[in-house]
Amino acid sequence: MTQPRRTNPLSPLVQAAPALPAVALFLIGPGAGVVERSGVPLAVLVVAGAVLGYAVFVGVAWLAWWRRTFWIDADGDLRLDSGLLQRSARRLQLSRLQSVDIVSPFVARLAGLVEVRVEVAGAGDSRILLRYLTRAEADELRGHILELARREGEAESAQPDRGGLADPPGPAEVLAAVPAGRLVAGLLLRSVTAGMLIATVLLLVVTAFTQGPAGILLALVTGGLPILSVVTEFLANYGFRIARVREGLRIQRGLLSTQSRTIPPDRVHALSIISPLLWRRWDWVRVSVTIAGVEDDDVRPDVLIPVAPRAQALRLIAEVLPDVDVDALAFVSAPAPARWRSPLAWRLLACAITPQVIATRSGRLTRRTSLAPHARVQSVRVTQGPWERSLGLASLHADVAPGPVSLTARHLAEGQVRPLAQEETDLMRRARLLR
Amino acid sequence: MDPAADAFAPPAAGWTPVSSRLATARRITLALAYVVVAAAGVVLAWTPLPRGWLIGYAVAALSILVWAWWVIGRRVRSFGFAERDDDLLVVSGVLIRRLVIVPYGRMQMVDLRAGPLDRRLGIATVQLHTAAATTDAAIPGLLPADAAALRDRLAARGEERTSGL
Repeated sequence: MTQPRRTNPLSPLVQAAPALPAVALFLIGPGAGVVERSGVPLAVLVVAGAVLGYAVFVGVAWLAWWRRTFWIDADGDLRLDSGLLQRSARRLQLSRLQSVDIVSPFVARLAGLVEVRVEVAGAGDSRILLRYLTRAEADELRGHILELARREGEAESAQPDRGGLADPPGPAEVLAAVPAGRLVAGLLLRSVTAGMLIATVLLLVVTAFTQGPAGILLALVTGGLPILSVVTEFLANYGFRIARVREGLRIQRGLLSTQSRTIPPDRVHALSIISPLLWRRWDWVRVSVTIAGVEDDDVRPDVLIPVAPRAQALRLIAEVLPDVDVDALAFVSAPAPARWRSPLAWRLLACAITPQVIATRSGRLTRRTSLAPHARVQSVRVTQGPWERSLGLASLHADVAPGPVSLTARHLAEGQVRPLAQEETDLMRRARLLR
Repeated sequence: MDPAADAFAPPAAGWTPVSSRLATARRITLALAYVVVAAAGVVLAWTPLPRGWLIGYAVAALSILVWAWWVIGRRVRSFGFAERDDDLLVVSGVLIRRLVIVPYGRMQMVDLRAGPLDRRLGIATVQLHTAAATTDAAIPGLLPADAAALRDRLAARGEERTSGL
């Protein structure tokens, strides 16, 4: 590990692969002209051209591969030197490690290779992507980096007790897995998807009577969009498994490309328990999470579990937010006048503050309970629109890091909101001081 | 209304208001926009439309101007902030009222901003940033010296509170 080395020599072949269809498409247009004049079959021309074009891209990728080396230096930093003309030297301090992930994109998987992503805490681009290594190399590197990070972390912070981190590596204990059938059913029965599919059926029935072409076109949109989203989500979440490992919770998922991502429990900033109307007869829920870190990261996990029985989901939540009993939250509900502002959802609107977390509840068709530990809440806001004012209501917001979860308790009694905001502010301050 | 029930009641020390120069700045911007409105009126006068249209246009434009002029005054007077021992409170808004509470320990950065018009009038904006994008705590219309002092105080308190981790 301490010697500079290159990634796997097959990497250029994989990296140039996305160019293949582009080259082929590019050739079909001008190629047609050549076919007319020379009589060479179009297919031969396209294949030959694509191979040639691919070879050029592989050549460039090979040069870049040749000039790219990585190693772990004497200070325990991960280093990456790269660049063909413009050289760049990147250095990640492993004591600030946030995650090491192994991802296997589709083409790389065909070549038996994986990508390793190493991320440290810090603003901007604070990660290194190693494309590509064999599975065994990647596992070895990952183990090595985690080991180094733990040793340095322990040396730096004088906290010997870091949960289970000091334990020897044990087998991953699978906490939950999502069967494919339940995943499909769950995706189809999400409120928006189900609504659009029902609308499509109605539209088709109406069109059958009126025989207008406009209805068919509209049905293609209302039917096509939800099916597209179901397929994408299915591909992404197929084989979803969440396991407890030494570093936190490990999520593996994906059909065409497998993702493997670790959530350190102390980086969960907020989470939402979401239950669409049509899931409730099976008592299924989905759990979204906000994990702090790099903002534009395509593999940043935002789902703790895509669809699971509520009891199982609550056990998962207990892994990341111990000492919080979601079913025992003492909610302060919106008062009766809130029905004039929000006639469907007003009975559910509520806010709860416990010694550990702030929780908000909302939604009618899709119910949503969101939680955030006080140490993660950044600021508290109170807002009041004109209609709320005339009803004596106000809304409470707890601001958390950007992500899928937002905490808003809408239309509470005006007299209760300010004391709640004050209580939350006090708890936030103390929570941060304790750390 | 019963004062205890007011969600936007001032803290014990009361709200610190912002400078009325902020209203001047906003009214100048409004006046600049009205140059365009007036130009449209001149064009309207050249068209062969009946006089009534022009009068209607002028009445509508003038009443909106008067209303906006008055709203700017109210909106600027609605701004207020209070520095408490552990947090900063910012209140704003007339139609939609907002109150933001930011504990000093959560502040990541304090910005001081002043556009060309602001600089000419002698005002500046202090903006607080936390790890949440939705925090939205800006105090416009501060005198430059006050703004710089406020920023330094906030930054110092933020550091004090976070360094104790």
